[in-house]
Amino acid sequence: MIKYLLTFLALLGIGYMFFPLVMEFSTPTRLNPLAEAYVSSSVNDLNMPNVVTAIVVSYRGLDTLGEVTVLFLATAGVGFLLRKRNHEAIFRRQGSEILRIGASFLAPLIIVFGVYIFTHGHLSPGGGFQGGVVMASGILLMVLACKEFSFSHNLIHFVESLSGVGYVLMALTGLLLIGFDSFLDPRFLPKGEWLSLFSSGAVPIIYSLIGLKVGSELSSVIDSMQTGGEK
Amino acid sequence: MRRVKAFIISYLILMGLWLILTGFYYDELIVGSVTAILVSLVFSNKLVILGDFRINPKSLYCSVRYIFVFLIELIKSSIDVAGRVLSPTLPINPGIVKVRTKLKSGIGRTILANSITLTPGTMTVEIRDEFLYIHWIDIKTDDIDTATEAIVSKFERHLEVIFG
Repeated sequence: MIKYLLTFLALLGIGYMFFPLVMEFSTPTRLNPLAEAYVSSSVNDLNMPNVVTAIVVSYRGLDTLGEVTVLFLATAGVGFLLRKRNHEAIFRRQGSEILRIGASFLAPLIIVFGVYIFTHGHLSPGGGFQGGVVMASGILLMVLACKEFSFSHNLIHFVESLSGVGYVLMALTGLLLIGFDSFLDPRFLPKGEWLSLFSSGAVPIIYSLIGLKVGSELSSVIDSMQTGGEK
Repeated sequence: MRRVKAFIISYLILMGLWLILTGFYYDELIVGSVTAILVSLVFSNKLVILGDFRINPKSLYCSVRYIFVFLIELIKSSIDVAGRVLSPTLPINPGIVKVRTKLKSGIGRTILANSITLTPGTMTVEIRDEFLYIHWIDIKTDDIDTATEAIVSKFERHLEVIFG
């Protein structure tokens, strides 16, 4: 009995705590000045329909560069920890013919869909991170379905390094072409037509590079799980 | 030759997906083509299975016809299974039967197995060499040839022309 009473009192206390929050809540009718600046300049300066991408890639581009670095460190750590050092070969039964052929047919389609997501990051929901994960899921499908599937490590590492270097080069090109306070400014390429693929300056290129980098990093994590048993 | 054919077919499929997603614009076509070519090249070892597709008028006719054959089978077996579910006596006699297929190409066999699975009442459990093991909701016979005639033949006839 006393337990129920205490529970009731605790709930009442929590209710009292949150009461002012709920009472004073009102839907803001206008944006705050910062949000307004983002919204208007993403449309006027960058000619970009997707405000979220404008913020992620351009206005807070440095954060995104940091995020890509964090992701790289995280995947490196995961790859290091998950790589099994013992020599027992993992026994895996060969998948059935239907599974292998179905996966071989679907994986390229999944990867093309991933490419679509990251090249259209400035026009539609999605972008580099999401597209990269979709690409890596295609690779994961192949790894799970086909026992003998192995992709070229050199290719993956080449793509990963190339996209990382490309991202930084894009950032520096903005710095060189526009002025000294414009690190990661995508406006050194033409704005393009509203809602067309080649628009919003260098944003599609930057987001594609991020997508490739995320995709190849996650693929190498999958690969380090796959080849754990050998060597 | 088979690889070149497989490459062209996979390019067309990937490009088709891209155009469905984006729409028909000049710049989308450029980026889509580059993507489709690169993905087809990277996966060329896996996509070589598409080279089994025969390109001649008869096979194209059969491909279109196969869609209708499959849709009709789908509707027929859906009504059949729905009738079994709704009837109070529940007239089912489930079990696994072994059937034989004449198809040689991997992708043809996969499409056959998936067609059998997609029609309600039958489901492909395993495929091993020339035999398919099929879970059937109402086993009419356990003889290989009769079961093949009942389940596989209607699809196989068309797939044989398309893939061989």
